[in-house]
Amino acid sequence: MQVDIRDRPSFANMLVQMQPGDRIIAEAGAMASRSASISMSTRWSGGVFRAILKRIFGSESLFVNEFTAESPGHLVLTQPYPGDIVCLELTGNTMFLQPGAFIACEPGVSLGLGWAGIRSFIAREGAFRLKVTGHGRVWFGAYGAIFTKDVVGEYVVDSGHLVAYEPTVGIRVALAGGIFSSFFSGEGIVTRVHGQGKVYLQSRSFGGLVAWTNAHLY
Amino acid sequence: MPDPNRTFHGGVFHDSIPGGRSGAKIQLRRNEIVAEATCEGEPFFSLPFDDCDLDLGGASGRMVFCRDPEKTLTIFCEERGFMDELRDGSYGVLAPQLDQLTRLRKGETHRFHFWVIASTLLLTAICVGGYFGLMAGAKAAVKAVPISVDERIGGMAMQSLMLEERLDDNHPATVLVRQIVDKLKPHSAIPDMNFRVAVIKSDQVNAFAVPGGQMCVYTGLIKKAKSPEQIAGVIAHEMSHATLRHGLRAAGQSLGIIAAIQVMIGDVGGLVALGSQVAQQSILTSYSRGAETEADLEGARMLHDAKIDPKAMADFFELLKSEMGDIPGIAVWISSHPQHADRVNNIMKFQFGLPETDYQKLELDLKAAQDALQ
Repeated sequence: MQVDIRDRPSFANMLVQMQPGDRIIAEAGAMASRSASISMSTRWSGGVFRAILKRIFGSESLFVNEFTAESPGHLVLTQPYPGDIVCLELTGNTMFLQPGAFIACEPGVSLGLGWAGIRSFIAREGAFRLKVTGHGRVWFGAYGAIFTKDVVGEYVVDSGHLVAYEPTVGIRVALAGGIFSSFFSGEGIVTRVHGQGKVYLQSRSFGGLVAWTNAHLY
Repeated sequence: MPDPNRTFHGGVFHDSIPGGRSGAKIQLRRNEIVAEATCEGEPFFSLPFDDCDLDLGGASGRMVFCRDPEKTLTIFCEERGFMDELRDGSYGVLAPQLDQLTRLRKGETHRFHFWVIASTLLLTAICVGGYFGLMAGAKAAVKAVPISVDERIGGMAMQSLMLEERLDDNHPATVLVRQIVDKLKPHSAIPDMNFRVAVIKSDQVNAFAVPGGQMCVYTGLIKKAKSPEQIAGVIAHEMSHATLRHGLRAAGQSLGIIAAIQVMIGDVGGLVALGSQVAQQSILTSYSRGAETEADLEGARMLHDAKIDPKAMADFFELLKSEMGDIPGIAVWISSHPQHADRVNNIMKFQFGLPETDYQKLELDLKAAQDALQ
């Protein structure tokens, strides 16, 4: 199965070239188009109870679609907002995704929901996170461009920009600076990522878009 | 003695692995930690206990990192029991490091709990202080706003109300109510206020005032009253809402709270829309318990100054409560005014504090008005 990510970074979408027997699991609603030879089946995302939890706390859909190629064909997957998509190859390791980031994965990858903690909640990164683990490729998206940072030690990320991170990094909530600069710099609370591991960041944040839009509504 | 059959799931960082990291199966051997990466080729790594630097962290805060002195190899695991196995399996070599890490983690947890509790208390104090500050601020700010603003808001409010049939100005009930308003007006806190009253044909026992002095009295209330003084009690209460400018104050408080939330947590456009609705609602429907008590006492003062016995106001409460308290949807005026018993007590207590006066009966023909309503 060959996957090309096209039209990056603003309007990225996945062109999945499938051979007979190839399978890919995608978030419900992610499909833009597909060859008629590719069949689709829909199931609960990890069982009814887990699917409901993922819907409520992980901003994911209740259902996932499994696409199977009966003869060669292609499938186009996309995400609901403008931004980049990246592929991550899991080799038995784990990655945490922020709610709503997941787009698709290969069948060897399992998708769970984990408690991210009070710190993450205060940092406006969500109290829960999606946990992807296993063997295979995972595709996830972000709002804006995606860039990575190999953290060794400590790194500061503004709230709302963290998309994915390895379980080897921890998250601390902190003020962006002193009391004055934190409140008047527009940065407020930031996330201090510490430890050793890779983090994926998005160049735009939904919170920033919402604030900007609201500021122009009145 | 390490258990050679026990396998932990974790991971490994090393430059020789494609991408620099992989999941791994971890075991403890006699002198070392070994990790078999689960990536392609399944490379094998080992780290002697003597060269092992331990650290604790990760997203959960419970992940154990084992590094060589050059920090080129990191084996990590957060499975339950891994720390205990390291302590037992290393024959005490790693025990001092593990003890120190445990102490650090406990200290950090305690500090975190302390900050969470302290922040919660501080936030609560700010919210409570801010609330009372806003209440006081709104009260002061309203005094600076001209009465014409109340009148405009009240006019808009009256237009938006879907009022039932209104009795004409010459109807005996309207005349009666207007006479009561005229009698009370000189004793109100703002005698210049343009008090106007409409009588609405409805069996509901209800009356209300909007900002600026416009009032509505329902015919159900007039029919229920046993004396003109009781109607005067209700009207004095409603006039007091207008003169104390409760509508404007409630709107100011609602908007002030929204403004404060905006300052504290950033942009909340949705809340602003909601807030304007709340403000409108608070003008039209109900006032806070404090505002009701204020209007009771100010109403009682007005009655007293007009030489009408304030007890009539309390009597009307009692009458409605005893006769109609349990009928939902009819005794609207009393049901929108909570803490009935307290209010009667407050009015009676307030009356005790007033100088003695010869109260006079209102020479008004309530019976004629009630007959005309039949």
